[in-house]
Amino acid sequence: MMKITILYGTETGNSEMLCEDLESEFGGDHEIELRNLSDVAPDEMDLSVFHVLVCSSYGDGELPASAKPFAEALTAAGTDLSGLRFAIFGLGDSEYETYGQGSEQLADMLVKHKAEQIGPRLIHDAQSGDLAEDLAFPWFEERVAEMAALSDAA
Amino acid sequence: MTQKIAILGAGPSGCYLAQALLKLDTTLEVDIIDRLPVPYGLVRYGVAPDHQGTKGVERQFARLFERQGATFIGNLDVCTGAHGGEITLDELRGLYDVVVLATGLPSDQRLGIEGEELEGVIGSGALTRAWNDHPDSHHLPPSAFGETAVVIGNGNVAMDIVRILSKDAGGFEGSDFGAHHAEHLAAAGIRRIEVVGRSPAHLARFDPVMVKEIGKSAGLRFDIADLDLSAGADAETANLKALATLAEIALDDARCTVAFRFGWAPVRFAGENGKLAEVHFARADGSGALALETDVAITAIGFADDARLGRAELVARATDIENGRLAPGLYAAGWFRRGPRGTIPENRADSQAVAAAILADLASLPETGKAGRRALYGRFDRLTDFAAWQRIDEHERATCTPGRVRSKLRSRQHMLDLALNVTETS
Repeated sequence: MMKITILYGTETGNSEMLCEDLESEFGGDHEIELRNLSDVAPDEMDLSVFHVLVCSSYGDGELPASAKPFAEALTAAGTDLSGLRFAIFGLGDSEYETYGQGSEQLADMLVKHKAEQIGPRLIHDAQSGDLAEDLAFPWFEERVAEMAALSDAA
Repeated sequence: MTQKIAILGAGPSGCYLAQALLKLDTTLEVDIIDRLPVPYGLVRYGVAPDHQGTKGVERQFARLFERQGATFIGNLDVCTGAHGGEITLDELRGLYDVVVLATGLPSDQRLGIEGEELEGVIGSGALTRAWNDHPDSHHLPPSAFGETAVVIGNGNVAMDIVRILSKDAGGFEGSDFGAHHAEHLAAAGIRRIEVVGRSPAHLARFDPVMVKEIGKSAGLRFDIADLDLSAGADAETANLKALATLAEIALDDARCTVAFRFGWAPVRFAGENGKLAEVHFARADGSGALALETDVAITAIGFADDARLGRAELVARATDIENGRLAPGLYAAGWFRRGPRGTIPENRADSQAVAAAILADLASLPETGKAGRRALYGRFDRLTDFAAWQRIDEHERATCTPGRVRSKLRSRQHMLDLALNVTETS
């Protein structure tokens, strides 16, 4: 049982739906809190809690609408996120050159503010025949295992 | 007592509205009614067939019916009564506590200039419905695309049309663009596409990413004219940068040239024997004129109401149009509410706001025990449900041609055969 905060940056609701799926799949095993990034202030984040983010891209590789206020607040305040460990999953469309850039931007921004990324950023491609949850569920389990190993070692 | 809500229109606005309502209150009885036997509206019939990623929101909408308890009622035509239809809006309001109009704006905005009725002048909505195999559009697209096509408008719909007109056959791999349409375009052998907009380039309405996407098709060269009108604008403007990426594509043996022209307003279509021959344009200040010879001109200048639900009057009398309130128990969402502006995400936000207004009003609504869908089932015997859509969906995916993800059923009758047979025998 781990305390996990799942955050979504969404424009059309697809990231939100994937996060709801993660919550229903893993909510029995872990203490999960699900939030829209638009409702999160960087300086109010509990840095001791493992954060899992799901973020799409929109327009020309931009952050989705619900991630923008968070990104702006983080940049403006320069919040120190030292100690925060996060994993990030992207939703993208390889039809565009800017494939997966929304989640990439968000990851870079968190790392720049001294958060630590756990494991690789995986992107679900809307052009593929895969369902996002089929990629995200095993990815989530791996990240949680990595996080648990890190906590045990500490 | 459960309150009963009918949403007219199973497109993105209606589906997002149902999603938002059921997230706020899981006990509501939400029915989504559509004129067509199949759901999803513009996601199925408006979003370009080669933008399958955008159609991914359908998975969210399917959840409404699979898990969130919404009911799909297809093949039911609701209107004011003056326009035919099977049941009037007033009758429907008698059956539900709340009715929400989310039927969008289905008609093409007209330019209102001479010659618009000529054969060869086509509205973008009519064309994209045809390309998307909408069951009401069998007479389109035009049998004779010539070597030249003119696209009037600079929005994203215009860019969709330019992209599809300019793609080679291989460009439709992975789409649900019918092989019959691809063959038709290939046979036309379009050599030149003129894209003409009213605004200067830096103010054009298109999203730059849509312009850049056109440049990814093989075998195209680009002429970008009238950039002098943007002389005062920053060259780093996203629109100008996107156009510059097209201009850099230099091909000696292009199969087709796409010419962008800016700052031209259409003034007249000229023709012979009822067929389009030329489109005439003028500068906004009257300083110049342009005539383009073509067999086909596609107007992509926006959408308008078709009057079937008496929208103009309802909106004019609305008590609080900002939040979608038309009259007690009657609401509007999406384009029906606020006009033909905004993409799928903007309609999602719009629907969420309208859902909040409905929930706030429901709290003070008296309990009426209205009949809801039971009355519809009792009165109509050819309604389709979500299971019917799933059969059609499965059939369309299973029977698609190589290189495609789906072959759409093109007639209502075929849809209904598949939708209703199983229901009747089970």
